[in-house]
Amino acid sequence: MFAVVPSSTLVGVDGLTVRVEVHVTTGLPQFSIVGLPDASCREAKDRVRAAFSSSGLAWPQKRITVNLAPTGQRKVGSGLDLAIAVATLVAAGQLPVEAVRGCGFVGELGLDGSVRRVDGTLALVAALDVEAVVVGCDAASEAALVPNRQVLPAATLRQVVSALRGEEGWSPVPPPAPPSARRVDGDLADVRGQPLGRLAVEVAAAGGHHLLLVGPPGAGKTMLARRLPDLLPALSVEDALDVTRIHSAAGLRLPEGVMVRRPPFRAPHHTASSVSLVGGGTAQMRPGEISCAHRGVLFLDELGEFAADVLDTLRQPLEEGRVLVCRARGSVAFPARFLLVAATNPCPCGGDGSPGGCRCSDVARARYGTRLSGPLLDRFDLRVGIERPDVSDLMAQMGSCPAGESSAEVAARVTSARERAFERGVLGNAEIPGSRLDAVAPLTASARRLLELRLRQGKLSARGLHRVRRVAQTLADLRGPSGPVDDEAVHGALLLRVEPFAPAAVTS
Amino acid sequence: MTRRPGEASCSLPAAAFAGALAALPGVGPATLHGLLSQAGPIEVWDGVRRGEIVRPPGRGVLPSEVAGRRVGWADAAAQMPLQAWWEAWCRRGIEITWLGDGRFPDRLRCDPEPPGVLFWRGCLDRLSGRCVAVVGTRRCSPDGRASAYDLGRDLANAGVCVVSGLALGIDGAAHLGALDAKLPALGAGATVGVAASGVDVAYPASHAALWERVVAAGAVISETPPGRPAQAWRFPSRNRVIAGLVDMVVVVESHASGGSLITADKALDRGIEVRVVPGGVHAPSTAGSNQLLYDGPGPVRDATDVLDALGMVARRPRRIGRRRPPGVGRTEQPRLHPEARQPRLQPDGVDPGPSSTPAATTQAAGAVLEAVGWRPTSINRIVDRSGQTVGAVGRILEGLRDAGAVEEDNGWWWRSRVGDVRDPQ
Repeated sequence: MFAVVPSSTLVGVDGLTVRVEVHVTTGLPQFSIVGLPDASCREAKDRVRAAFSSSGLAWPQKRITVNLAPTGQRKVGSGLDLAIAVATLVAAGQLPVEAVRGCGFVGELGLDGSVRRVDGTLALVAALDVEAVVVGCDAASEAALVPNRQVLPAATLRQVVSALRGEEGWSPVPPPAPPSARRVDGDLADVRGQPLGRLAVEVAAAGGHHLLLVGPPGAGKTMLARRLPDLLPALSVEDALDVTRIHSAAGLRLPEGVMVRRPPFRAPHHTASSVSLVGGGTAQMRPGEISCAHRGVLFLDELGEFAADVLDTLRQPLEEGRVLVCRARGSVAFPARFLLVAATNPCPCGGDGSPGGCRCSDVARARYGTRLSGPLLDRFDLRVGIERPDVSDLMAQMGSCPAGESSAEVAARVTSARERAFERGVLGNAEIPGSRLDAVAPLTASARRLLELRLRQGKLSARGLHRVRRVAQTLADLRGPSGPVDDEAVHGALLLRVEPFAPAAVTS
Repeated sequence: MTRRPGEASCSLPAAAFAGALAALPGVGPATLHGLLSQAGPIEVWDGVRRGEIVRPPGRGVLPSEVAGRRVGWADAAAQMPLQAWWEAWCRRGIEITWLGDGRFPDRLRCDPEPPGVLFWRGCLDRLSGRCVAVVGTRRCSPDGRASAYDLGRDLANAGVCVVSGLALGIDGAAHLGALDAKLPALGAGATVGVAASGVDVAYPASHAALWERVVAAGAVISETPPGRPAQAWRFPSRNRVIAGLVDMVVVVESHASGGSLITADKALDRGIEVRVVPGGVHAPSTAGSNQLLYDGPGPVRDATDVLDALGMVARRPRRIGRRRPPGVGRTEQPRLHPEARQPRLQPDGVDPGPSSTPAATTQAAGAVLEAVGWRPTSINRIVDRSGQTVGAVGRILEGLRDAGAVEEDNGWWWRSRVGDVRDPQ
């Protein structure tokens, strides 16, 4: 008359084991679910009953109580449907208790009795501490990513019952698909000219330095940013699982091979709210765009058009690589280690920002610059001016100019630079702590003199000094194995970090 | 109108009443001119106080609530603390002249739209000599700034009074140039600024120091009563005063719809010569001035050309085109400071890098200098054109800047010229 079956629910991007307890007793026929189900979870009642009748199973005309433990935690979504149905069958005596021993159940039921995948299957299956997990056929390959779990796919509730009774077999688990090929979002070879922009993208990819592209409309900022993910090395298995788990929980479409192996690229529109960026929500804590961009690239086009308070929510995740979203009901930590790439115009008029090349007044330019807070601007190691190609330069290059380096060539350099960074104990040079810079990224005497000069001139702050040194180290790494960072790398790093919004027209 | 001197309340001079008339509500240059062309300021003031001269009805029909707020001149005049104003003006060194006064600038006397009353600080004597207006946009290029500065300095050195509008950009550079001139007898060069705000309200505020220097070297003039900020309509009006005060207007740089084009228009209306400094054909900051140039007024390159056009003897003989031997292209124009006009860079002035040979460094520096050019150029384009790596470009530019061959502003680089104005603040 009583049965318990393990299942799980989503909390943020992680699964939480839920004991689905069903009690069947005599009395007026009734079916109630207790234990803090949310709206979609409470609707399980109707789906389960319909699935029973569609599958030709007898609905027990008894008093049925379903409890979802732990009862203090809110349960969300429809992933508990299958577990409720199976537990009801066991409690009503239609399935033997031994048949479900060691089995977990994750899946949604359709009114026709079909078993379907739910968002976050990877996290839900990983949270279950059981030998075997029954899932829908469409979720089998995703569930199979979790190590040490036997995956038992089934298409319908009918098949689940007969397979548990031993009358029929489970559906086969599809073989793991080959890793998806390099994304063809466009090759870096398509970008003509723009040596500084190309270099900045390469350095950003090699060192994990946040990048701000400043330039007029049509200069190619977006084009450059979209080519950045292709330069990044493929995700490690660990990272790939993390990213897949987040994308699955966020309800994003997973790639063909299910596992997300390429660094993700997320480009939210500038009307985005702060909750949509960092995560949160009322009914269910959902990961935001910064978590969806975990281990990949978050591209904010038209940075100046984002609401200022929305942008400032990025500052803490940028430092810590995770974001702790707190609500009255509890707090959830989302991983958010992403490479921030942003693009903005130098001024509101759409000119190129050169002295005399812009129609804005100094006041208008200064006001445009204040939209971005200093602390946020400071997080960008690379701040590079991009401009529309000059007509004469463009014509000169047409036909005669060989295409620039392809993404593959640059990606090879990036990978070897990343290997050098890895020898220093970091994933990218941007992560070298300031205290260890002298030990792992030493300078030549001339480079030291140059930085000292810049500090004395007041053109560099102490924090800026560290950032320039990290970028210089990445530049040196990209050139090949080398000794201490020389002054040429420091010069390059300094040129890759301009003040984007200082008023261009000097007042006389 | 009959003259009743006893009506003027006290022993204030006529200038005080002229100033008070300019401060009446709804009084502009045309109204003032109309009033003061008939009688002196004391008589007009008396008429206003007695209600004999009333505020003219506004053009068109005013909404009733606006009409209700209109203050009559008699009421406004009764409330003016004339005595206190006059003392404050005297204390600040503000002087007043009016149409019909002996000190009123001669050139404006026969102007088609003369100011009725002028406030000024400094000394108006400089306006009786040769005057040239150097005007242009506030949002100028480094080229334009250099031209304006050179013009201001060289014209002032030649004894010409430089008139401009005290604004940011070209105007300020022209004033600064004139202030930097060194005349044996007089010290700093002569310059006069015409303001749209009151003469004691520096606009823009960042030019407060410049205003004081202009007052010391010449004068700051305005039609606006002291203490009042500039209203938008005052700027075109101010430009007409500039045009009326000078022998020639030189437009250095102007956007397609710039205020300096108004100055040029007003000058042409008055038969005053207008000249234009040609600019690059791609920059927005020279679109208006180049259009003007195309429409007729002749070009000037520097102060020598301006002095020539004024019929003044330049201090050096000019090269005449027909002396050029046949088959030889244009030779370098002699300049006011020929030696200084040469770029100061010598390739060997570049700091050689530690790892490259001097010859290679020189060649690379030449390529970078070539890539920089005279107009503001981005690092991106310099790297693209020179074919050097970003780090090498950075090192070479650093050396070139130390040698004074290039200048930088916020990531934009250009080859420097002598006399380029740096930010004085």
